[in-house]
Amino acid sequence: MIIFVKTIMQMERRNFIKTAFLGGIASAVGLKSNDLFGAGKMSVDASNDLVAVMGGEPGQMYQKAIEAMGGISRFVKKGDKIVIKPNIGWDKSPEMAANTNPDLISAIIKDCYLAGASQVTVFDNTCDEWQACYKNSGIEKAVKDAGARMAFAHDQKYFKEVQLPKAVRMKSAKIHEAIIDCDAWINVPVLKNHGGARMTISMKNFMGIVWDRRFMHANDLQQCIADCSTFEKMPVLNIVDAYRIMTQNGPKGKSIEDVQVPKALFMSTDIVAVDAAAVKFFAQFKEMKLEEVSHIGLAESMNIGTSDLSKLKVERIRIG
Amino acid sequence: MYTYLKKARVALSVFFMIAITAAFIFFVNRESPFFSFFLKLQFVPSLLGVFSGGLLVFVILLALTFLFGRVYCSTLCPVGTYQDVVSRIAYYFKTKKKRRFKFSPVNNIRYIVFGIVVLFVIGGITLPLGLLDPYSNWGRVSNEIISRSEQLMHNGVSFLFPDTVFYRSYAHFTLGSFLFALAFLLLVTLMSAFRGRLYCNTICPVGTLLGLLSRLSLYKPAINRDLCTRCQACVMKCKSQCIDLETQTIDESRCVGCLDCMVACKNGGISYLFSYKKVKPTEIETRTSKVSQERRSALIAIGLLGTAMATKAMNLGPLMKTKPKPSGIMPPCAADSDHFKRNCTACHACIAACPNNIIKPATNEYGLDGVLLPVLSFKNHFCSYECNECALVCPNDALMPLLLEEKQVTAVGKVNFFQDRCIVKTDGTDCGACDEHCPTKAITMVPFGNDGLYIPKVNGSLCIGCGACEYICPAIPQKAMVVQGLPKQVKAKKPSLDKQEKIEVDDFGF
Repeated sequence: MIIFVKTIMQMERRNFIKTAFLGGIASAVGLKSNDLFGAGKMSVDASNDLVAVMGGEPGQMYQKAIEAMGGISRFVKKGDKIVIKPNIGWDKSPEMAANTNPDLISAIIKDCYLAGASQVTVFDNTCDEWQACYKNSGIEKAVKDAGARMAFAHDQKYFKEVQLPKAVRMKSAKIHEAIIDCDAWINVPVLKNHGGARMTISMKNFMGIVWDRRFMHANDLQQCIADCSTFEKMPVLNIVDAYRIMTQNGPKGKSIEDVQVPKALFMSTDIVAVDAAAVKFFAQFKEMKLEEVSHIGLAESMNIGTSDLSKLKVERIRIG
Repeated sequence: MYTYLKKARVALSVFFMIAITAAFIFFVNRESPFFSFFLKLQFVPSLLGVFSGGLLVFVILLALTFLFGRVYCSTLCPVGTYQDVVSRIAYYFKTKKKRRFKFSPVNNIRYIVFGIVVLFVIGGITLPLGLLDPYSNWGRVSNEIISRSEQLMHNGVSFLFPDTVFYRSYAHFTLGSFLFALAFLLLVTLMSAFRGRLYCNTICPVGTLLGLLSRLSLYKPAINRDLCTRCQACVMKCKSQCIDLETQTIDESRCVGCLDCMVACKNGGISYLFSYKKVKPTEIETRTSKVSQERRSALIAIGLLGTAMATKAMNLGPLMKTKPKPSGIMPPCAADSDHFKRNCTACHACIAACPNNIIKPATNEYGLDGVLLPVLSFKNHFCSYECNECALVCPNDALMPLLLEEKQVTAVGKVNFFQDRCIVKTDGTDCGACDEHCPTKAITMVPFGNDGLYIPKVNGSLCIGCGACEYICPAIPQKAMVVQGLPKQVKAKKPSLDKQEKIEVDDFGF
């Protein structure tokens, strides 16, 4: 046990050294810290509400999208403690599209550190056994390699009671302490179909920051999903991973047959808008009406965001 | 020479005890199958696994006994080593006089205990053997007491380092099983603190059997009458209390081959001797009658063992069968309840190995002859689709290791769906928690009513009884999805592939 603690501590130290080393290289090649932290001459176009990218690798699409959103420094300030919340619900490999793409998570973490984040934490309250999920999703390795920290979320001990006064059904919920303690968090779901909620995207991804998902299933699932998004500490950014998507047998999936590989990514500060966009994109693969995914409509009626994309400034980027 | 042999014996025995205990400790058994390997070297597991691959180990253990007597008891048996440790610690708390062991005359309780166990095994009931077998008892002690203490300490450390050491949620606690393990530990501790290897020579069925066999051993510890001064040095060291200086004989059926006497004797008066050499004419009268009697009883023991194994081989069902209750869900790879009950000695290796903590000791789920046997409970989690750990660690072949692909189509139970309890029907809202968790898509969501709702539908032929749906079902007080155990585990249909056309899109769709 002691050895276990030690190795982890050593790992953290190694990661620290790595981060410091990267920083050293950056200064050696003459990058000003202003360039790195995005506060300098780089033009910041913060006017896009939603960015959609297609045709690249996960990290590459993220870079294009975040540039179009005005750069990460719009969302991550120097010294911030950042949480990145992917979907790591299932004991499945990345090819199965049941969990968020680890390469995408890796790219976001590195970007957060470049923006000066003091600490980046990643976690999910998994459905399958948590250690298997963390490991086999490839996310644990990606996170550790990028120098961030995997937080534990497998016990009620890690969750704290929070009031949700604007909610309709779920007036309070136990939310993970990392979310409560952080300066900002980024929501990074994967795009999948879902037997119960019809679709699982950004709003549904909140179920992994909440401890008791049985309560949500038992008390009007769609309303509870919408209620989650009344949480006052909303993610500063929602990034939908659609590099691989699950179009049937979701959210767990049976085989590789359930997966399509459209190589896309959606990014927005508006959680309702990004989910609506993702559903419309998904509908090209499998019939799915926006009204069917009723938590999106419920959230819109609660003024959480808008699903009317024509009202928004949308940038569409195609790579290659 | 015996000094070095003894040191080697002590080193080996401590190693085996630690290795076997480690197989029950969370961190060790999760990192590698290394320690579980040592469970397969135990006597009862090798005996029960004889017909499914344990033959080699069984033959080696028998050969060892036929060569040197009960060395198994002093080297491989974790309970034996534990007793030596206790007896050593007790030594420091005793007066000089109390430290000395005395010769104790043969007691025949062990044959009665052994007879009862054998009769039950012949009748197809393994439970009494499981309750007395030293390995299985050590398994339960490791799991219920040592492993739980380790967990408490671990969680203490997790409070000190909350970011790096995770908290381990407490698993099932079955009071009966804990108390049984505790009672065994106390009994053995007390017996060994006062009387050395008393348990091994009074109760332990493995000790009794090996004792009977060791009467036929090629090499036996013997006193050299020319060198013996009857100084009592060996007697005072003999944990088995089996050296009789009046007749200058050693009762090899109780001797565990610990070598302590040979080290203690200053004249080198005790050593292993070839026991089939011709005896001097003068000794014949005094010895032959005793020797032939001893050999006769050993042959009877072999006969009994043979009968027990033969009946096992013929697969005679248990003589008194209790019908398994529907709630008794056997762990994956148990095949059927007869096989499972015949081979399982409730060592709880599977309980310790389960990453999901869903295996617990049975109370009454299997009926009276299945008490303490491992049973699945979906209260805290469900059986992982990608896992067959329990079968891999089982040393008795009570759980027969299936390839993961086979395990994934083997049903341990079948789910019953009670629509009237389902949230979709009672509340008229979406749920689908069961469908979400079902790994084989035995559950699918089908349209329900006119409000665009979907309700689960079960395809029994695909269900493998993993309990994911039961675990996550939010319906209270009674779950809408309830898995019912199968007395005979059956093959489920392989999930279909649901091939779909790979679509390439050029547009975002908005």
